[in-house]
Amino acid sequence: MLNYFDPKTEHTGAGSAIDWTRDYGTPAVDSDVQVSLDIDGVAVTVPEGTSVLRAAALAGINIPKLCASDNLEAFGSCRLCAVQIDGRRGMPASCTTPVAEGMAVTTQNAALAKLRRNVMELYISDHPLDCLTCPANGDCELQDMAGAVGLREVRYGFSGENHLQAEKDHSNPYFSFDPSKCIVCSRCVRACEEVQGTFALTIDGRGFDSKVAAGQDEPFMDSECVSCGACVQACPTSTLMEKSIIDEGQPDHSVVTTCAYCGVGCSFEAEMKGDKLVRMTPWKGGDANHGHSCVKGRFAFGYATHKDRLREPMIRDSIDLPWRAVSWEEAIQFTADRIRDIQTRHGRDSVGGITSSRCTNEETYLVQKLVRAAFGNNNTDTCARVCHSPTGYGLKTTLGESAGTQTFDSVMKSDVIVVIGANPTDAHPVFASRLRKRLRQGASLIVADPRHIDLLKTPHMGEGIHLPLRPGTNVALINAMAHVVVSEGLEDEDFVSRRCDPEAYRQWREFILLEKNSPEHMETITGVPADSIRQAARLYGEAGNGAIYYGLGVTEHSQGSTMVIGIANLAMATGNIGREGVGVNPLRGQNNVQGSCDMGSFPHELPGYQHVGVPEVRARFSAAWGVDIDPEPGLRIPNMFDAAIDGSFKALYVQGEDIAQSDPNTQHVEQALTSLECLIVQDIFLNETAKFAHVLLPGSTFLEKNGTFTNAERRINRVRKVMAPVAGKEDWEVTQDLANALGYPMHYSHPSEIMDEIAQLAPTFTGVSYDKLERLGSIQWPCNEAHPDGTPTMHEDSFPIGLGRFGLTEFVETEERTNRRFPLLLTTGRILSQYNVGAQTRRTDNQVWHDEDVLELHPHDAEERGISAGDWVGITSRAGDTVLRARISERMQPGVIYTTFHHPGSGANVITTDNSDWATNCPEYKVTAVQVEKVTEPSSWQQRHQTFGRRQWQYLEQASDA
Amino acid sequence: MSHGRLEQLIKMINQIARNNPCNGDDNASAEVVLNHVRKFWAKPMKQDIIAHLEQGGEGLDPVAMEAVRSLQAARKTESS
Repeated sequence: MLNYFDPKTEHTGAGSAIDWTRDYGTPAVDSDVQVSLDIDGVAVTVPEGTSVLRAAALAGINIPKLCASDNLEAFGSCRLCAVQIDGRRGMPASCTTPVAEGMAVTTQNAALAKLRRNVMELYISDHPLDCLTCPANGDCELQDMAGAVGLREVRYGFSGENHLQAEKDHSNPYFSFDPSKCIVCSRCVRACEEVQGTFALTIDGRGFDSKVAAGQDEPFMDSECVSCGACVQACPTSTLMEKSIIDEGQPDHSVVTTCAYCGVGCSFEAEMKGDKLVRMTPWKGGDANHGHSCVKGRFAFGYATHKDRLREPMIRDSIDLPWRAVSWEEAIQFTADRIRDIQTRHGRDSVGGITSSRCTNEETYLVQKLVRAAFGNNNTDTCARVCHSPTGYGLKTTLGESAGTQTFDSVMKSDVIVVIGANPTDAHPVFASRLRKRLRQGASLIVADPRHIDLLKTPHMGEGIHLPLRPGTNVALINAMAHVVVSEGLEDEDFVSRRCDPEAYRQWREFILLEKNSPEHMETITGVPADSIRQAARLYGEAGNGAIYYGLGVTEHSQGSTMVIGIANLAMATGNIGREGVGVNPLRGQNNVQGSCDMGSFPHELPGYQHVGVPEVRARFSAAWGVDIDPEPGLRIPNMFDAAIDGSFKALYVQGEDIAQSDPNTQHVEQALTSLECLIVQDIFLNETAKFAHVLLPGSTFLEKNGTFTNAERRINRVRKVMAPVAGKEDWEVTQDLANALGYPMHYSHPSEIMDEIAQLAPTFTGVSYDKLERLGSIQWPCNEAHPDGTPTMHEDSFPIGLGRFGLTEFVETEERTNRRFPLLLTTGRILSQYNVGAQTRRTDNQVWHDEDVLELHPHDAEERGISAGDWVGITSRAGDTVLRARISERMQPGVIYTTFHHPGSGANVITTDNSDWATNCPEYKVTAVQVEKVTEPSSWQQRHQTFGRRQWQYLEQASDA
Repeated sequence: MSHGRLEQLIKMINQIARNNPCNGDDNASAEVVLNHVRKFWAKPMKQDIIAHLEQGGEGLDPVAMEAVRSLQAARKTESS
């Protein structure tokens, strides 16, 4: 991936020839005006505003530097990058000096060399000389600069006052802070501010006493630090250093790949020693993350080599029997025989599969192909069913495509940012950092959420409006906002008349203007004062660029789809579609939720969102796959559960999902799973679902395979294999083996061949290939003849359905209501350090931040029930009950309680009900009526779960012993 | 078919009807429900809800009932 700078072709240094392994000293500047100057006799042309330091670096001239880095604004403190400029006095720092037309710069002469040596001499006079045993040995900018400036002696000696005895801080599980090595360049402090936006670090003291301090001069772990790693990345010495590097030494090679945590899809350099991963470093060339990371992607990779990894295939006849470790051949044959036997006895439709939103596009594509071609039905679904299926439905209905409209970078051009039912600082942290940067630049923020989320506490942001609505009233809120926009004349009439279907718009306008949709009427439903809604609607409606970001707080409701339609209506009515800075942006949960939907995981849609009921579509797939495609949609996940309990659905192949933990109404799910004759689980661990399985097929992590992930901005990124799969097979190979054993031939030798097949069949993927991905780095679909390099911003000139379609969004109250017996509303969510069901992050040191799920409740609700912080509380809903520890929190409004579902024993989903979105059956996780009370012991479900779990682990151990 | 599964289907189809009142136009509403069920429901679910209609359709909202009737008619045409 190395791109060498060629001064012949790339004097401006703008764009394509940037070598992401280099540090150009200061950030790139975007300007239409080009400035030409002379540096050491070399003619250079760069955008106006570029620093002399960067201009020189672009011309291949490396001026020594320490406090400068191209992901931070210039600071000018180390003075090492001093230069001389014809006609100017002294030796200015090149990092803080912008280029000027005709400027002549000298970067090296005797005077500059002397100055730089003097600077280095002072630094080194207060620095330990333990380079050979220092963890940064081989990767230390201070050492490099000492070499570059030719430092040969330190005339001051080393006996003066110094910081060599400064105390180390090892409190963070992933990195150490050794202030004795610190040169106080402030790169860590600036990274925490500028890149991450947390402001956890500062320089304490003045002059010689200056030192880096976390929080109120406390250990890193006690400070506001979120462990994103930006400071460690920025540190030029070994002051902030990964513990893995301290333990293992410097990596010997690296591969650029894509993170397998959230839907941001950050690019990382997987840094290796042999086949051991020692560090994940955010890749500056990554178009989603531009060199930033969060605690999960940066540090929480230890699960890949955890002792719990499943290492061999296993089978058993009943879940009350120990596992039998067998060869791949035997396991695959056993599975195929079971499936065929069940289909013979119970019919072709009695089996199905669940694709994984954590696996690659190619693997997901293959599982749905297996179901449709080898099983012969459309009983395929994916975990997007339980998170973003309403996004697919709602956006396809209104805008014509089931995906977000923008790039992440688009937010940097937004004036008003609306965040609805999303908590990006926890769930999409790297995007949240960019969002916060924009807020610090002056964009306004509107948050619609029952909780006071951390984004509202963004340091140095401007205007922020919080609309603390009652759970379950999203549609009432969005209707009220739209009512204000229309009734106060804030519509973009030009956009509506040019781009939208007039009849649908007329009907919508008539509906939305009804008095029942006014903020004053809706106030009683949402609990949000009408004035606040009017203020928010005006702010968004009058914005130059208004952008809406939303998450599962929108989709996981009985009206999830209606709300997505409502959001799209509002964006169309205000003309906030089709350019940078605006748009409708679903923040996807898992790494490849977008991809799994694109790949035809849903029972009604073939890859590329093509309905199975359309004969021409089926004909193309039949021709390519050599089988007839069932014209009827298959069962969705909840329908599969109901059918299993009913006895008509008998076998399920689950790849890389943990439905027993993640899906609602756990006891119902468990009943469904125990009703199956054959449950096949392909996973990296014995997860909760696997405990009910008859076949265990060991999965591979993202480090062990090739493929692609598609992130929330439709960006297809390469996943590259850095180590061998622990059980010998990449996941797509297992699916392929199963297809062959079922008598349906599959003969792919590499995932790139699967992508080639996808490109033939999905119209939005026509132009995608691994070769092009190598060339461009990443591609945002649609990528086809009209958009050969992909489509960063969608719907610029027209919608895929021609005209945008407004949808009617009647507010319908959820059936899940509070009453005397269940007076509180429970809503669920996520936390920064843990990911989804926690199978990965619970097997890393991320546990130190969140080793159990707790119940957050408002002091008022706690006091009424005599509950204190740390008490065990029983939570009872119509579906079940569980017990969690209490945390008292004013983030919640009275009457609303909150928990996470990262730990299986918590049983958060024992309480959630099987209410679901009317259009897609996406569960209503966000609204459950409950009662809580102080208790003394775990719930009966928790006790049963523990006993059952213990027995299943024993069964696994017995297999390993055999 | 179990009672639980049928209950669920009735709940689902009523929910589709209630979420698509089409400004009070019941015919339009029933049409939306019909199209939705055709497009998104699996075959056994469609068969079961038709069978329930044939048993009297207890619990179905009027609009949902109308949609199932149309579904039944369409099925008959398709199979004849």
